[in-house]
Amino acid sequence: MTVKFGGLLAVQSATLSVGAGAITGLIGPNGAGKTTLFNVITGLQPPTNGDVTFDGRSVTGLGVHKRARLGIARTFQKLEAFNSLSARDNVLVAAEMATKARRGGRSVQAVTDEALEQVGLSDLADITVGTMPTATARLVELARALATGPKILLLDEASSGLNDEETGAIGELLARLVRESGVSVLLVEHDMNFVMGLCSQLYVLDLGQIIASGTPREMQQNAKVQAAYLGTAKDAA
Amino acid sequence: MKVLQRLRSPLGLSIFIFIVIAAFVIWKGREAPELAGFSVEQVATALFIGLAIGALYALYATGIVVVYTTTGIFNFSQAAVAAFCAFLYWQLRVDWHWAALPALGVVILIVAPLIGLILDRLIMRKLEDAPFVIQLLVTVGVMYFILIGIGQIWPQKTPRKLPAFYGTKSFDIGPVNLTYHRAIVLLVAIVVAVALRLLFRSRRGVSMRAVVDNRSLAALTGAKPDRVSSAAWAIGSMLAATAGILIAPELELDPANLNSVLVFAFAAAVLGQLRSLPLALAGALFLGVSRQFLITFLKFGGDWTFARDGVAPVVLLLAVLALPQSRLQVGRVTRNLKPIERTTRVWEAALGGVVLIVLFLALSGGWLNFGIWDPGAWNEIGLNRARVALATAFIGMSLVPLTGWAGQLNFAPMAFAGWGAYLHLRFALAGEGETVSVFWLLFVGLLSAPLGALVALVASRLSGLYLALASIAFLELMASLFFPHPAAGFRGVHKFKPFDVVGIDLATRRQFMMLLVVLLVIAIIVLTALRRSRYGRRWVAMHNSEAAAATVGIGVASTKVIVYAVSAAMAGIGGALYGTANGSVDATRTFILDTSIPIVLLMAIGGMAYPIAALFTTFQVLFQALEARLEDAGAPSWLLGIVTFFRLFGPGLGAIGMVVNQRGAAFETGRQNARYLPWRQDAKAEYAATKAKGREPEIGELGLCRPFAAADVVALDRKLGVADDLAPGRHRQGRVEGAGVVVAGS
Repeated sequence: MTVKFGGLLAVQSATLSVGAGAITGLIGPNGAGKTTLFNVITGLQPPTNGDVTFDGRSVTGLGVHKRARLGIARTFQKLEAFNSLSARDNVLVAAEMATKARRGGRSVQAVTDEALEQVGLSDLADITVGTMPTATARLVELARALATGPKILLLDEASSGLNDEETGAIGELLARLVRESGVSVLLVEHDMNFVMGLCSQLYVLDLGQIIASGTPREMQQNAKVQAAYLGTAKDAA
Repeated sequence: MKVLQRLRSPLGLSIFIFIVIAAFVIWKGREAPELAGFSVEQVATALFIGLAIGALYALYATGIVVVYTTTGIFNFSQAAVAAFCAFLYWQLRVDWHWAALPALGVVILIVAPLIGLILDRLIMRKLEDAPFVIQLLVTVGVMYFILIGIGQIWPQKTPRKLPAFYGTKSFDIGPVNLTYHRAIVLLVAIVVAVALRLLFRSRRGVSMRAVVDNRSLAALTGAKPDRVSSAAWAIGSMLAATAGILIAPELELDPANLNSVLVFAFAAAVLGQLRSLPLALAGALFLGVSRQFLITFLKFGGDWTFARDGVAPVVLLLAVLALPQSRLQVGRVTRNLKPIERTTRVWEAALGGVVLIVLFLALSGGWLNFGIWDPGAWNEIGLNRARVALATAFIGMSLVPLTGWAGQLNFAPMAFAGWGAYLHLRFALAGEGETVSVFWLLFVGLLSAPLGALVALVASRLSGLYLALASIAFLELMASLFFPHPAAGFRGVHKFKPFDVVGIDLATRRQFMMLLVVLLVIAIIVLTALRRSRYGRRWVAMHNSEAAAATVGIGVASTKVIVYAVSAAMAGIGGALYGTANGSVDATRTFILDTSIPIVLLMAIGGMAYPIAALFTTFQVLFQALEARLEDAGAPSWLLGIVTFFRLFGPGLGAIGMVVNQRGAAFETGRQNARYLPWRQDAKAEYAATKAKGREPEIGELGLCRPFAAADVVALDRKLGVADDLAPGRHRQGRVEGAGVVVAGS
């Protein structure tokens, strides 16, 4: 697919596929077009030519909320939490939108409590999200996405702002979700350790193009990737 | 299918509406014999007059655009400032017999810039980081304050007339006879357009535009944001003064009348996409000419003589819907959030309701005696006022779900109220009997909801300022085209039948007043339950972030339809109550922008998100009653004066006060006093915590006095606006082409 902002080319001919029940990583330097890609998949960015296929059917023409109801959930890099609601209500709103089948037959309250528990926010459930630190609000977004009972979870820098311990906990949570409920995960990350340890498949996006894909190990040895991504990461450090 | 999709796009929708209107005009105009016999002279004369009037609109619109592009604030008070300057000019020129030139000099070159500077320094600059709704409502408050002020300084008992420049003297250009005054207007508009164009091209103009994008960034590059915003407000005010003085001879010298130009100014400004001065000028001229042509050539066989008043709202609506919208500052995070936002329990609302009912019973019955002062039982006048006030509160409460929770700014509660009153009149009163069952109100609500849904469908793509302008256009459309139309049968004064409850007449005024109190309490309880339900949560969630709401599966469009329908139903019932409370109503004077705006302001002052804030709309009536009481008791005149001052200027001052208190009086009152309620241990604890926190050092002292904690990071983020930079619309302008993404789920 190709995405243009005015005369600026954001994403060009990027094709990627996410396997069912696996964690797929999408990495690339700043401005590579990762978030744009997420927006296209979730429907926030209207595609005119590109095609998004989900569960064997094309969802390109569907609105954002319809894709969400099919099971596409996401978090945002720039926070989009419901700021004037409490953490519990953030999650509750999402759980209320999920059908009974999507909730696995459980009650809305049970799903909400479980999602909060999973991200470790049970104790902070009554706090207004707008007054939370950014990293905590990110966890609220994750719980909110989980509460929709997703088939695929798109995480836009879920670990940013978290410390190593918390990042590890998120990693474990994702691995468990994939293992137990067969959720597919696509994550955009900057934390390379996180990505390398977790993902079975990696895509590298640079200047709007997928320049390489494969297992994390293959990517580490790929010269193109090192030049485009790891090289700049070293410079930045 | 494809046609339907086209129609759903904003441009398609607008073109469709335009075609319908054009077809209607041609169809109606066909019958008008005047159309057949027009001459070149007529056309040319209408063209020149239209251009002159359009030039006046352009002056207004230009002032609004200049201030908006440089400060980001959309100024509702533009026409009010213009009106004030016109009155001041009248004072100097006519009443005090000054010569024209010194009078013009004093008003345009001294007083007007001074007003601009005062507005900028004292009010607008403090609004830099305020949410856009607050920015807008504060300027509406300024408008209201100035209009009331004019009415006080120059009472409207004696009609005033501002003579045109050079009187009625005129000259001929070819076939056209043009008055000197209108020639001057055209000349001034041209000079202003050229001067501003030069200014905006200059270095200062560039720095002016940089300031609106990022004030502190522009400051780093050497622009002086404070000076720039002062300059913009001063220029805006001078343009307003010029426009006011020039337009006053064309209209009557009456503040409401002079302020009504605002809709034309808005339409022109929006045609210029709020940024482009040349486009705004062209838009204004187009408006002036089309209005004049309608007046001259289309008589519409008597039924539609008032159709010319529909020109501005129609154009405003179409422009808002069709034109690509320029950058708007939306999606700012609500400030002043509490760590725990407690939503009122339903039983608490019910308890409060009981208190309210008892209070009204006691007050109106004269059961209370405060020792030094016995308020006494309410007389007929007092009861009448209370009824109207309570009905108004009902209308105001319709804004709570729509604006307070779902964030859809709506200036048109009175349009929905008028529709409800109309339905009530048409259908309920057609029945036999002297009274109407109160349960009929449910049908009024049910039939009002579709109008709300319709507005939601048309407005679903709009947000922020454009939504607010669309609501004004909608109100003006109803007020100028529907309510006064003879076929609607809503013109003139209409009597409303009193209510009965299951066959029992509410014979006395006091009984009906108590019915209103009970209905209000029911509405408060229902709203409280609604806020705690999944719908309330969904509305607030959508307000916070439409993008995120959609990604959890909330259909934003259908959610808007529901919340608009609920609000319209409430306002519709309120309108029926309002008509009945008044006994009789003249729709063309009642359901208009002038009555709608104070309701919106008072709701905002009370706290749009809290049903109880609706009691604030009764504020003026309460003060009226207080005044009457004081007068009876022989209170000193200075005390009466103070009460009168606050009654008149309260809404304006209160709205301006939102510079400081953005969440409204209900919120603040709750925050201060909830701790006195025996079951609110949490509020007691929170109060203690805030008191303790008040002694901690400010953010600026961090690292010097105490360590940098996680909570400080948040506070700092907020202060720097890092966490606040959530503009969902910003990513959507790109186009997507090419190959594909395959996302395979389980």
